[in-house]
Parts: sequence; structure tokens; C-alpha cells
Amino acid sequence: MKEASMIQTGQKISARNVQVCYGDSPAIRGVSVDIAPNTVTAFIGPSGCGKSTFLRCLNRMNDTIDICRVSGDIRIDGEDIYDRRVDPVQLRAKVGMVFQKPNPFPKSIFDNVAYGPKIHGLTRSKAELAGVVENALRKAALWDEVKDRLGSAGTALSGGQQQRLCIARAIATSPEVLLMDEPCSALDPIATAQIEELIDDLRQNFCVVIVTHSMQQAARISQKTAFFHLGSLVEYGDTDQIFTAPHDPRTESYITGRIG
Amino acid sequence: MMWVFDTILSLPVLVIGLAVLAMIGAQVRARLAAGGDLRRLAALPRAHAVNAALSVLIPVLACYAALSVARMIGRQQGAQILPDRTLFWAVLAVALIGCIDAILRASARFRARAASEAWIKALLIAASTTAILTTVGIVFSMVFEAANFFGQYGWRDFFLSTEWAPNFRGNSALGILPLLWGTLYVSFIALAFAVPVGLFAAIYLSEYAGPRLRGIAKPLIEILAGIPTIVYGLFALITIGPMLRDYFAQPLGLGDSASSVMTAGLVMGIMLIPFVSSLSDDAMGAVPQAMRDGSSALGATRSETIRQVVLPAALPGIMGAVLLAASRAIGETMIVVLGAGAAARLSLNPFEAMTTITVKIVSQLTGDTDFASPETLVAFALGLTLFTLTLCLNVVALMIVRKYREQYE
Repeated sequence: MKEASMIQTGQKISARNVQVCYGDSPAIRGVSVDIAPNTVTAFIGPSGCGKSTFLRCLNRMNDTIDICRVSGDIRIDGEDIYDRRVDPVQLRAKVGMVFQKPNPFPKSIFDNVAYGPKIHGLTRSKAELAGVVENALRKAALWDEVKDRLGSAGTALSGGQQQRLCIARAIATSPEVLLMDEPCSALDPIATAQIEELIDDLRQNFCVVIVTHSMQQAARISQKTAFFHLGSLVEYGDTDQIFTAPHDPRTESYITGRIG
Repeated sequence: MMWVFDTILSLPVLVIGLAVLAMIGAQVRARLAAGGDLRRLAALPRAHAVNAALSVLIPVLACYAALSVARMIGRQQGAQILPDRTLFWAVLAVALIGCIDAILRASARFRARAASEAWIKALLIAASTTAILTTVGIVFSMVFEAANFFGQYGWRDFFLSTEWAPNFRGNSALGILPLLWGTLYVSFIALAFAVPVGLFAAIYLSEYAGPRLRGIAKPLIEILAGIPTIVYGLFALITIGPMLRDYFAQPLGLGDSASSVMTAGLVMGIMLIPFVSSLSDDAMGAVPQAMRDGSSALGATRSETIRQVVLPAALPGIMGAVLLAASRAIGETMIVVLGAGAAARLSLNPFEAMTTITVKIVSQLTGDTDFASPETLVAFALGLTLFTLTLCLNVVALMIVRKYREQYE
């Protein structure tokens, strides 16, 4: 264990030769990638290239799909998350996730954010819980808009607010990694800009991994970019380099709009 | 030869004949107007034919229904009853007018498709009106007969007396309380059994079972809903009743009757399982997968997700399922007759024989009845009470569902 963490010094997540199959059809063919803490890493690539599937490996959400098989080695802080001793439920408290479509629970705004802390018993008193909720909503840049109506339904918010509520909900369990699966694809440009600004702030506290279809978005908010194509990781590097001087011809074709 | 004449002249054959005649006539006239080029018509000949058929059949139906109602009312008021012959000729006249009108109207510019839309709309309105008027009719007949009853028997004695002892030579005690108590007691036991079992079955089917097991188990549970209630009654009479008596009631010293509230309640509960499980399963299936994903991504286990996200979101549907089951339980008759007996009694002991409102309605109306004495008319007062009870239940259900809808959507 110690050795592993020494090899991967400075990396939050390190994946080696990850393969995923849905039944008989392979979705990911041997992906290896290291993701640094306090960075925003973007996964880009055409639809069906496996970027979302790979993202869902990082918090074992693929476990909920019966026919899905994951092999290879994924470590977070040097710890193999597919080890038999790891409880996926505990893992997901540490690796938060925000989905493509905002999915607030049919509960009040407060209860949406308090959901994780309540389940994991993170707070001892009501006051402490209220503090955690406020803090999460502030970090998600939603506090000022909802502080007077924490009791109203989370589903009554606008799309952009709902997505920020989902981010607040994920933050409230104080995860170390935040996975985002195309978090802006259901939002208008103004809400998208707000979320992007928020993601940049979140970098202070979290390791953020975001799947996106928008290359402009990847260029704006990420420090590292990984380009996936047909289930393989084609190229991974600094965002500037990927978008200005890609090494692989396929990456260049994609970012200039010739494939995908 | 007479029977041929009768058949040919009988009303349905004549009307259908006229309708076919109108179809052919309208179509032929439309084709003649087209002069070989169908594009000159506002509607295809086929559409003319459909419109012609509708304009014969729908007025005939309306006329027949109206005259029948008039005859029924006339009979009740003891007035001169409309003779059969008048009805016959009136309907025939309407059919003939419709037929001639449809044929004459067929022309190049007649928009037959739009015209038949109007007829179809009329037909649909008539169908829904029938349903509503029937309900109103049922309520009115109940109210009139019940009022008749309360004219002969004090409402205080009916609603507040704890004695039920009908006597066909008069001087009966007709207090509803023992029957109401029996109804509520049996329904309560049935629901106390059916709601947890049905709900848990639904949770298992919708959240845990794989698609293959689900495909087998769900139809199997739903078979329960298809069993006639009299069969459930037999099951209560020969299996559950004696079993409860031998293994529970007698050892516990709670009585030695095979017919008991417990017997009827349990068997009714079995009957209600598919109502609760099937509708709850549908309600939970309608909760988006994104909700479950969101919850498990926050580190919630499956049962935490179900308790905190799926069940609250599905609550309106589950509520509806429970209240539907409650209405069924309150209105159930056969299982009670065979399972709980026919003795009107106010008792807390679930192993004693009791009876319900529905059973007593049946027994008051079986045999020679003249619908004039309070002993028979009481059935209508009982029925009206039952109807009011289930109506209140439905209103409460609607209110609860609406409240949660506002909160959750």
C-alpha cells in the first residue's frame, strides 16, 4: 500500500488498464490515467466514446448496472476502490457525483442538501446540520438566492438553480473528489456560465473531474484534458497543449470538428 | 310466413337497411358530382358514406333513448304509457329523414369529413353523459327510497341504536351501529394485513427483483385479483375459519365460532394484496431512475434510497392504492357472508361472528319483498350510508394526493 502511494505521489486518482464491458460488448479498452488533486480534469470525446462510463467507474456507480463488468486497477489516495473490503456506499460519500440532468429529490431545499450528512451521521446537532447546509449552499453559489425559502420544494427551482442545488447536495457530504457528468448540457448559457464559474471555485477544495461535450467549456474551465475515442484514451495532457498543439492526429481532428 | 314479415319489419333491420341505403346513395351522388375526377370533391365518396351512416344511426339512437326514458317516467307516474307502435314509427321516421337528408346533401362541395366529426363528437358526449346520468340516477333512487324509509322509521333510531333485530311482522329494531362496526372492523383487519404485505411485495418487485423474476412474479400476484370473491369465501369457510378456531380462538379461550371477523378480514386481506401491490409497484416504477442514482451517488444504501426518496415520491400513487383497497373492503359481501357470518353484534373480540352492512342489505332484500315496509326499505338507507362512506374516503384520498402533489412536483 505504501509503495503504491509512493509511486503515485501527488496523484488523487490513478487508474491502470481499466476495462469495462456491458455484457459482451466492450465499452472501455484499457484506459490508464492519473488525476491530480485540486485540478479540474475534463474528459472530452464524441458520444459513445466511453467517457461517462469511465467517470462512473470512479465512484462505482457502474455497480448498479447488472451486466456491467469492470476490470483493471483504480486507486484513490493509493487505495484500490475495487478491493473487496471497500464498501461502495462509503466510497460514494467520498467521491461525489453530479448528473447530466438536475435530479433534486422531491423534498425541500434544506432536506435535499441535508440528505447526505443525515445518512452518514456527519452532524451531531440541528444547528450543526444547518451550518453544513448553509456552507454547502454558499459554496454552490446558491445561498443568496434560496436562504429565505429553504423549506420550499427543491424541484420548484429553475434548471440552473436545481443543478447548483445538486452540486450543493454533493458538496455537503464533504467529498474529496467531485465527478460531473455533463453538468451543463440541460442548462441555458447564463446558468452554464454560473456553473462554470462555480467549478473553478470548487477546485480550491476538491478534485473535479468533468465530462463535457463542449470543447469550449473544457478549454475554459479545466487544467487537464483527456480525449477519449472508441473506448480508448487517445491523449491526455495539459488543456492548453491539447487544444493548441495536440500530439495525436485523432485529437486534432476532433477539436477541429472533423470527427465526432 | 308471418315470422319472415316480422323479422324484415323489425326495427333494427329497418334502421340498418336505411343506413346502408344512405351510404350507397350518398356515395353514388358524390361520384356523379365528381364526374370521374375525384379531386373535384371536397371529401372522398368513402367519407360521404361514413357521414351518411352516422347521420342515420346517431339520431335513431338518440330518439330511441329519449322515448324509452319518457316511457319509463310515464309508467312510474302512472300516466298514459306511450304505445309500442308510436315508438316504432317515430324511430323509423327519424331514420328515414336522416337517410334522405344524407343523400340529398352529398355534393361536390359538401365537406363530409367535417360533418362526420360533429356526429362522432355527439356520440362521445352521449357516452360520457350516460355514465354521469347513471350515477345521478343511482344516487336519486337511493335518496328517494331512503327518504321513504326515514318517513316510516326515525333517523335517530337508525343511526344511534345499537340493536339490529329485523322482524318481518313489524316492530323491528333497525340500528345501523352493529353493522357499521362490523364493516369497519373487518375492513380494518383486511387493510392491516393487505397494506404491509402488498407494499413490501411491491417494493421487492420494483426495487430488488431482476426483470426475469419480476416478469413471473407480477402476473402470479395479479392472478389473485382475478379470483371471484365467492371462491375466497369458500376458502374462508372451509380452511381459514376452522384453522383460526382450532389453533387460535379455542386455545386462547376467545370463542368457538369458525365464522369470525378475523377469518373474513384475513381472507379479504389476501384478496386485496394485488390491488395494493400492483398499483404501488406502478407508482414506484414511475419514480425516475435519476432519483435513485442521485441518492446512491450520495452514499445511500438501497433501503435508505427506498425509504427516503422512492417511497415519498411514490406516495400519492401508494395512497391511491390503499384507498382503492379500502373501498373494495368496505363494499365486499361474499367473503363476509361465508367468513364472518350474519350475526349483527357489537364486540371487540375478533374471533366472534359479526356482520357488515352489505350482508344485511342482501338478507333484507332476499325472499318476498314488497318495498313498502321499513324492513325492506332499510336496505336503501344502508346502501346510501355505505355510498357516503366510500365517497368520503375517495374525497379524502383526492385531498391527500393533491396535497402531496403540490409539495413534490
